[in-house]
Amino acid sequence: MSDGGKRPWELPFRNPGWAGNTGEFDLTEAQVRGDEYVASRPLDGGHPSGAPTYPYMLADKDPDAPLFEGPYRVRYEKILTRYPDAQAALLPVLNLAQELRGHISPETMDEVAGLLGLPHAYVRGVATFYTMYNKRAVGRYLIQVCTNISCNLCGGDEVLDAFLEHAGVELGGTSEDGLFTVTEVECLAACGFPTAVQINSRYFENVTPAGVPDLLDRLRAEAK
Amino acid sequence: MAYPYTHEKEVRLLSRGWGDPATRTLAGWQAMGGYEGLRAALELGREKVIDEVKASGLRGRGGAGFPTGVKWSFMPKEKKGVHYLCCNADESEPGTFKDRELLRWTPHQVIEGCLIAAYAMQAEHAYIYCRGEFFEANQVIARAVEEAYEAGLAGENILGSGVSIDVTVHQGAGAYICGEETALMNSLEGRRGLPRVKPPFPAAAGLFRRPTTINNVETLCAVPHIVKNGGAWYRQWGSEKSPGTKIFCVSGHVVRPGNYELPLGFPLESLIHDVCGGFREGRRLKAVIPGGSSVPILSAAECVDCALDYEGVVEKGSMLGCASVIVMDDSTNIVKQVRRMVDFYAHESCGQCTPCREGTTWLSRILVRIESGRGTEEDLQTLLDLGRQMTGTTICVLSDSAAAPVASSIEKFRDDYLALIRRGEAVGAN
Repeated sequence: MSDGGKRPWELPFRNPGWAGNTGEFDLTEAQVRGDEYVASRPLDGGHPSGAPTYPYMLADKDPDAPLFEGPYRVRYEKILTRYPDAQAALLPVLNLAQELRGHISPETMDEVAGLLGLPHAYVRGVATFYTMYNKRAVGRYLIQVCTNISCNLCGGDEVLDAFLEHAGVELGGTSEDGLFTVTEVECLAACGFPTAVQINSRYFENVTPAGVPDLLDRLRAEAK
Repeated sequence: MAYPYTHEKEVRLLSRGWGDPATRTLAGWQAMGGYEGLRAALELGREKVIDEVKASGLRGRGGAGFPTGVKWSFMPKEKKGVHYLCCNADESEPGTFKDRELLRWTPHQVIEGCLIAAYAMQAEHAYIYCRGEFFEANQVIARAVEEAYEAGLAGENILGSGVSIDVTVHQGAGAYICGEETALMNSLEGRRGLPRVKPPFPAAAGLFRRPTTINNVETLCAVPHIVKNGGAWYRQWGSEKSPGTKIFCVSGHVVRPGNYELPLGFPLESLIHDVCGGFREGRRLKAVIPGGSSVPILSAAECVDCALDYEGVVEKGSMLGCASVIVMDDSTNIVKQVRRMVDFYAHESCGQCTPCREGTTWLSRILVRIESGRGTEEDLQTLLDLGRQMTGTTICVLSDSAAAPVASSIEKFRDDYLALIRRGEAVGAN
């Protein structure tokens, strides 16, 4: 939050979001995120309802991964059971393809069209409508910084600048080491905890420009 | 365990249990009286459940404020084929962040609400359309659905009643417009998220062309409490026309932003100054957006004696929307923030209707020109004219929503615009 200059204003309390600390809030990060309460995957006998939901992208995403084999074939088939027709499964199936491949290339769109028996042009039309389908390859971590009104009022633009500076990238670009792609994103629905940042599947809240280097270091360490 | 920023004036009904990981689990939710609402509903019968919800006066929490019980009664009584229920968890209105907390702390509350609503409307499948970005909330709600199935609370023959209701978590893929109910249905069908022309209304031909009802997460979360305790009980909070509690999402320049569950009709000034701790030292109120970015901006003077219920905010010239209160102090650069909101609508317009597709982009370009000090006074009139042509001329209200903050800010903060146009000076920093 700015005092009229570029200096960010520290919020005087911490909320239960996760920004590397929870202050006086006595919970672990996993508890706040809900990581301890996760649906078992269909492969483990889990319910089909939990088939298409996460994560955004695998750490070892492979743009040439087959659609779909092994556990992913099981999940794919379970997804199909939840809808009256194959067309309705299009979004969850594209999500699944992106989880494996990291982005949805035109070839992936065509492959998914073939799987579901839909026209190629139709699937391209749908896939390009939605912003969460990466149309080209992204880094190991896709960093999406909210700069919409609530975050912007409290310095979202400065947080975005800090990410660009410390990751050493242009907006939308990927760092040379392939770790970070930084983009701007529309409201992430975490407006009370500015600035909100989504990094792959995870939210980070109350991010300040000063906290950006530590956050990037944490990601670098995780990637090793 | 207390949520870290509870306030004594709060009435924690839906948000009871937030901040306690135990609430997430089926056992934890049942220990708090969970699924008693579902049992009560199955005993009461469909008609009486709808009657109780009608009696409670519960109004849709997604923005429009339409009475929920009335909406439910639009569904055909004589069932000829499949009915659907959609839970709208595609929360993406700038300023709103309540549904994500409901999903991640109290997933069983959401599921119980879905089951009761589906039972009342004879729907055999409830789809929870969860915003794509909510991976963390998604993993939680998916686990909760799985637990509900394991315990016989969802699926075939729920609690031995002979009623069968499937629940599916459907993950979106990033599009604000999919929060509009007909766009949501198109998206669920695997199409682009384009709003549909009404009629036919969803209760006649909705998802997969079958009778469908779409309710917001918060609306459905209130249902178990109402069914368990009765419609009259729910009316102990709020006003005659706006009964009950509401989760207010406060963001922006207050000391303690966050979600606060308060009775409807709560005074806006008290929300800002008491509950949220007011402003930083030396700052004072400049403007408030009371219902998310889609509603007109209120000036500081209009915030005096403003009651936060559906009628009270309309009286002051705005709308309660989903009660997302964005507070701006006197360090705010209104022109920049309005431009930022318009950029958002330009990005999120589905492109179906010309006034919206073209209008949002034009608004944005003119505002950028003004913000950079190259605007003229005629531009203000152009913005207002454009806004008028964008209002009421499109299939959905995204276009109207983009025009509302522009028109209201020019009306109420004309001096800020003129300072930029005449002298190239921005008022405020952020």
